[in-house]
Amino acid sequence: MHRNAAIGLAALASLSLIDAAHANETSYPLSIDNCGQTITFEAAPERDVSVGQSATEILYSLGLGDKVVGTSVWFSDVLPEFAELNSGIDRLADNDPSFESVVAKKPDLVAVSYEWHIGPQGIVGTREQFHDVGIPTYILPTDCVKDNSAGVDGTRLEMYSTDALYRAIRELAEIHDVTAEGEALISDLAEREAVAVEKAKEAKADDVSAVFWFSSAEMDVDPYVAGRKGVPGWMMEKLGVRNVVQSDEEWPTVGWETIAKANPDIIVVAEMTRRRFPADDVEKKLEFLKTDPVAKEMDAVKAGRILVMDAHSMDPSIRNISALEMLADELPKLK
Amino acid sequence: MAIQRPGRWPGFLTSLSSKLAILGAALILGAAIGETRIPLETVGQVLAMKVFGGSYPVDPIDQGIVWNYRFSRAIVAACCGAGLAVSGLVLQTLLRNVLADPYILGISAGASTGAVAVTIAGIGGGLVSLSAGAFVGALVAFALVIALARAAGGFAGTSTGQVILAGVAGAQLFNALTSLIIAHSANAEQARGIIFWLLGNLSGVRWPDVWLAAPVAILVLVIITAHARALDAFAFGSDAAASLGINVLKTQAILIGAAALVTAVMVSIVGAIGFVGLVVPHAARLLVGPRHGRLIPMTAITGAVFLIFADIVSRIIIPGQVLPIGVVTALVGAPAFALILVRGRGGAR
Repeated sequence: MHRNAAIGLAALASLSLIDAAHANETSYPLSIDNCGQTITFEAAPERDVSVGQSATEILYSLGLGDKVVGTSVWFSDVLPEFAELNSGIDRLADNDPSFESVVAKKPDLVAVSYEWHIGPQGIVGTREQFHDVGIPTYILPTDCVKDNSAGVDGTRLEMYSTDALYRAIRELAEIHDVTAEGEALISDLAEREAVAVEKAKEAKADDVSAVFWFSSAEMDVDPYVAGRKGVPGWMMEKLGVRNVVQSDEEWPTVGWETIAKANPDIIVVAEMTRRRFPADDVEKKLEFLKTDPVAKEMDAVKAGRILVMDAHSMDPSIRNISALEMLADELPKLK
Repeated sequence: MAIQRPGRWPGFLTSLSSKLAILGAALILGAAIGETRIPLETVGQVLAMKVFGGSYPVDPIDQGIVWNYRFSRAIVAACCGAGLAVSGLVLQTLLRNVLADPYILGISAGASTGAVAVTIAGIGGGLVSLSAGAFVGALVAFALVIALARAAGGFAGTSTGQVILAGVAGAQLFNALTSLIIAHSANAEQARGIIFWLLGNLSGVRWPDVWLAAPVAILVLVIITAHARALDAFAFGSDAAASLGINVLKTQAILIGAAALVTAVMVSIVGAIGFVGLVVPHAARLLVGPRHGRLIPMTAITGAVFLIFADIVSRIIIPGQVLPIGVVTALVGAPAFALILVRGRGGAR
């Protein structure tokens, strides 16, 4: 009953989105304002290079896999539905590609997840460097709504929201002249988002709090946890869950003493394939929580309310929705 | 010349016991002050329970924070402060150079390189911890610097300028290697982990670290204290020491080995904390004079108390955020040193 109502609401919401675009063909030349710069396309790009996994997966989701000639910056395995597609595509680097390796692919578009790769101080290159050789760069709007010069992973100026993600999908679809696919993807994601929110409302779990543990430089030291305004902060706000961390930094370092005293109801631990820090391993995180003399006393640990979540879904990406669903599913258990 | 006058001993003992009382108070403060507020009564109950037995209705999280996080951390800070300060003192005396310090001699630069290599370059494939990397790096750096100094004749004669120069060269080399590795492959998140660690961080300290830090600190303090008279002699140069019948090479090897050991162990546990080894011995010298019989315990206790307080400040100065302790030791240490310098001008013996 409630579920149907939610779907109805979501359908209404997505109707207006479809209406807005009404799947017209893109007319070129197309100019788009992207992160403070205007980029122009004379025709739909035929050769894409992605710098960032979330940009890669958006292109795949739009059915543009055959246009992608190079990928880079991988945090975890590609979404299972794209495994076969992805295996046939050149991976320029697991992490940061060099400027020349990107340019050598002669791309018509470089799609970028993070400004710190390509941006004002990009370590791959600045946007001007690419534009000088005639290659347009598109930075996902999810990253340019924050101040990337402050804090280590940047500081969000406002709460993350899927609006920026949907804008990224819509604009990439428009650039490639696949507007209909873009709107279909957005309405699917928006509907699932609305259903998850409705589910959380039905759960009526009072004053539930959570902490999202990404990793730690060493096993016992202060962990990197989710700040107030990033993707996990957005998930918590959407579902009425209180973040015990009150920093605006994307991933601040917060002491276990502070976390333990806040005693969150749910602990979300990130799962990733990367193994640079010992705490990248989810098993090590769980072992710490169960054996550390203070951490093991937290209610969430005692009651086993530890949620293992894909790390990449805690960063702006289409995976945000499945992560939101996962957290929403946990709330009815807290009543 | 290097003999303590017997008449000094009772006063010295009184002074030592008062210093130990200050150390005890500092440890208790370390357990009482932290990122979150825990009532003093609770802190007292936890310490009483753990030390004298008995039981109070204390929240297990509060109890864990006070005993497992804060108290162990304060003890390690004390060991670390004492160890680093005394090894700075030994190096200053042996090398007859006021700038001698584990950091000047490249030990911490080597430790940093080791830690960075493990984390960023992935040496050891995740099996080797940051601490182990730091330990190996510290020892390699120190061995290289000593070998270079020996090749330059730094330990053979009275001139010890070569040792300092060798240390500067070693520190530069390892700093360059560290920068190379960071520039080559670190992303923002890793750079943060590394920088935080390079400036020292006690947040990961637990009781197992105490069982490493305390025995090493005590062992090294005993070895160095046993050589107090030899150190007095070395203050006048190794020729003077040799003329007093001291086996110069053997004694130098033991003392430098002890200083390297304590520095490498402490750096591997808490990261590279600067300033302690350089400044604390000078402050202690201004307070009790140059004789090592009094100077060694004074240096150890001053170093211990200083680092406990530096750690407390690092935890509370910015609410909800922990500052690297190396920043605090520099910010607090420099003015404190200046004050002691000015005050001690007339009173130094």
